[in-house]
Amino acid sequence: MSDDSNNINLTIDGQQVSVPRGTTVLEAARSIRIDIPTFCWHPKLKPAGSCRICYVEIEKARTLMVSCATDVAPDMVVHTASEKVLQGRKAVLEFMLMNHPLDCPTCDKGGECDLQNLTFKHGVDDSRFDFKKYRHIRDKNSTFDDLRIGSEIIRNQNRCILCYKCVRANKDIFGEQDLGAYQRGNITEINTPPGEQVDSLYSGNLVEICPVGALTNTDWRYKIRVWNTQTVDSVCSYCADGCNLTLWKDKQKIYRATSRRNDNIDEGWICDVGRYGYQVPMAEDRLTTPLIKKGDSQVPATWEEALGLISEKFKKIKDERGGVCIGGLISPNLDSLSLHTFSKFFRMVLNSNNVDFRAGYKMLPEKADDLYSKLTSLPFKISDIEKSDLILVLDSDLTKEHPIVNLRVRKAVTQKNASLFALNPITTQTGGIATDEMVYNIGTLHALLNGLCISLIDQNLTQYENARDLKNKLSPNTIEEASRISGIDVARINSLAKAITEVKNISLIAGELLTSSINREQLSGAIINLCLLAGIFDKGQVGVLSQAANSKGAEKLAVMPHLSERSILKIKQIWDKYPDNDGLALDQMIRSSIKEELDSMFIIGSNLMLEYPDGAVVKEGLEKLDFLVVADICETETTQIADVVLPLSTWVEYDSSFVNLESVEQKFKAAIKPVGFSLPAYQIINKIAQGFKTPLFETIDELIPEIKTLLQPDDSQNSFENCAIEYIEEKQNPEFEIPLLITNELHHFGYFTEKSNSLSNFCSEAFLEISPGLAEKLDVKNGSIIRVESEVGKINLPVKISEYIDNDVVRAYRNFSASPVNILQMRKRNIDRVKLTVVEGT
Amino acid sequence: MIIDSNKIQKVIDDSPQDKKQLIMILQNIQLEFHYLPKESIGLVSEYLGMPQSTVYSAATFYKSFSLVPRGENIIKVCKGTACHIKGADLIIDQLYAGIGIKPGQTTKDMKYTIEVVNCVGACAMAPVMIVNDKYFGEVKCNRATKLVKKG
Repeated sequence: MSDDSNNINLTIDGQQVSVPRGTTVLEAARSIRIDIPTFCWHPKLKPAGSCRICYVEIEKARTLMVSCATDVAPDMVVHTASEKVLQGRKAVLEFMLMNHPLDCPTCDKGGECDLQNLTFKHGVDDSRFDFKKYRHIRDKNSTFDDLRIGSEIIRNQNRCILCYKCVRANKDIFGEQDLGAYQRGNITEINTPPGEQVDSLYSGNLVEICPVGALTNTDWRYKIRVWNTQTVDSVCSYCADGCNLTLWKDKQKIYRATSRRNDNIDEGWICDVGRYGYQVPMAEDRLTTPLIKKGDSQVPATWEEALGLISEKFKKIKDERGGVCIGGLISPNLDSLSLHTFSKFFRMVLNSNNVDFRAGYKMLPEKADDLYSKLTSLPFKISDIEKSDLILVLDSDLTKEHPIVNLRVRKAVTQKNASLFALNPITTQTGGIATDEMVYNIGTLHALLNGLCISLIDQNLTQYENARDLKNKLSPNTIEEASRISGIDVARINSLAKAITEVKNISLIAGELLTSSINREQLSGAIINLCLLAGIFDKGQVGVLSQAANSKGAEKLAVMPHLSERSILKIKQIWDKYPDNDGLALDQMIRSSIKEELDSMFIIGSNLMLEYPDGAVVKEGLEKLDFLVVADICETETTQIADVVLPLSTWVEYDSSFVNLESVEQKFKAAIKPVGFSLPAYQIINKIAQGFKTPLFETIDELIPEIKTLLQPDDSQNSFENCAIEYIEEKQNPEFEIPLLITNELHHFGYFTEKSNSLSNFCSEAFLEISPGLAEKLDVKNGSIIRVESEVGKINLPVKISEYIDNDVVRAYRNFSASPVNILQMRKRNIDRVKLTVVEGT
Repeated sequence: MIIDSNKIQKVIDDSPQDKKQLIMILQNIQLEFHYLPKESIGLVSEYLGMPQSTVYSAATFYKSFSLVPRGENIIKVCKGTACHIKGADLIIDQLYAGIGIKPGQTTKDMKYTIEVVNCVGACAMAPVMIVNDKYFGEVKCNRATKLVKKG
């Protein structure tokens, strides 16, 4: 017997091994590098034991045992390659091939198929089943049983070996119910119920985990054989989760992206935006040469001409009016090298602090925002979410914003019994598994958080010494008032307060609505109050999640004005100087341009015309500029009005890194050469700097230590103090009373994912999501056209009745170039409000 | 065939709202309509708070549920070993001559459906034919059609 009661000793193929109790024989064998083949086993799924290929012989057991579903026992003696085992495996393969079509020559899985490989290793070249194979054929005219079960998934039931991995992952990991196994025996099939489709954000994973060619992606099918591709390690460039990807390429073309499992972040799952996002760099209408505006049209030019013009104009502005008359905006979806070079160019060459990366934000603070930046600098680990007993999600539709964080939250709740509380202005998919999903009146989160604080104080649930003092600083300062404003019952607030104090480990997650809110200092303050009272700083983690792939990097690399003292010190340390002007945040730049104080802007990778949450203002602002330089990968609404357009390379075309929301820097490698004459942003910036006779670097190696210094975590301890929070109701125009939320569409992230065919197949046009109740009131159906009108703009959108909205909030999706909903927004309003009228005849 | 959803709903509403009762509810629907109408899957899944895929899996797994319309009278002809030898095929031929349908088919007036079943455990009486749960043993093939009318 083993000495340690939690460890079990056993013998596998003559080797002694000691593993924790509850380990399966398969895992024990793999821990000492003994390979046992599997089909239905997956590291992140519960064992099913349905394929039986993992047979092992266990002494004293009557039959062969499936190692994936057999727990180790003391003094077990296991043989994984005995004659009996090999015979068993052969028999399993023979059964699997009984009805398998063996159409390997036309199967896309050929070359990386588990069934093919195992048959090659163990199988016999003949079958004793000499009767006719059973065929699933839907279309009598086709030899293949190809059925589209999702927007990008084709199922071929004949090849399926019924391992149920797709059905199990879909249900257990992604929480989707749209896939099942129907019929039985020979004719069992994996399918959706009639009339449904697999269209969740995670659908591509089902294809990736299929051990055979039963599920294939439309993007990979019949394009290339896997052995003709090379793989490149990459990182996803869309949201801030930072999933690790493998890109499969041949020459100048990328054929697919798959997950490169990283248990700290993605656990081997990626969302469809990441999976099909590689199609954006492959778009056919990429910009390939610089363009210079001559008269009314933009004509192709050489890099020398374009760069010469830019240097000349920038120099003239700098000499005559100062570098502060040039504004810079760079996309947070760009890599760290580019972000750093951009900041260096503005600060060192132009001597200006006018750099920003926050294109989608409304009014930005005009001084260093202490509370918010304090909160965002707290350490947060995705993998720690599953250690929490309670997860509090504030203002975030996690599925849309952070698909992989969403999966961790789901795992914590469904597999580790954590309780989840979601506080959102509309119901969300994640909220479906919540203990309590509190749908508060939009724009009243800080009132609700105040209520929560008061509840903690009134029920004596807090150890915080200044609690009484804090209570006087809050407005509303009674729980009844907070409940009235937010629309959440007192009892629910009290029970949440109780739940928070009862648990040992809490993860607090706040999302986009908070980050992009005008009130974010107030909201951050309210969160700090709550954390102080409930002791969350000591017993958990607080994550104010950044949005884009490198937003966190941009924050840390100081690509913004109004920096904290600490960041300024760091910059002085690496560059010996720091511009003495205040600098303009993006919305200040646009306002300065309207006032004709800003002469020029340099925009990289951002379609400001579509992204900025005030369509009218940004149009006026950009048109008033004397000189606009835009670098982007494709033509956009913003490049169309630029004086010089520069072709930008995408992240698959050079080596660099992204910093994910955990502040982890992840390097990625180039898969293809830059398309056309495009260049990475950092090279473009350096070439412009060379025009000033002050190059920013000779080789990029010089920048690496600078970036490293800036990305270093702050060692100094943050001390938090409670703050006064006051809820002030925003003035409303009674004519426009329906609150409008504008977010990313589920399958789109940023303005360029429209270029991905696969993602456009999921959703290709903007729509307005409304609640069933509102639909009844307006008497509209799915697809009816509605005129959405705000104080500043109007637009027609088709209606979609959503199960996720049950109040009067409506939701629209940004970044569809055909329907620029940002024209409805006003930069000064926290909550945009609209009125809806049905367009007759639809 | 058009089935009124309200009628299905009524059958469902009369059943207990318990996930364990899924099979029973499906049986009740089948008893009323002789098959499971397309709409019933969605209605049952809503009633029991179960995913449609689960209800559909159960409905397709059991052979006694049919997702295609069936006639008022279900004729089951046993084709187990004993009945097969005793001439089940002749009964099937005779029924085709008498009411004009083959196994698996339903008459146009929705009166009869013929199904072939495996052993029904009455081999001593082979060949066996079952009409609406009434068993007929030692069926003479020339009397098959008459027995159907009688059943």
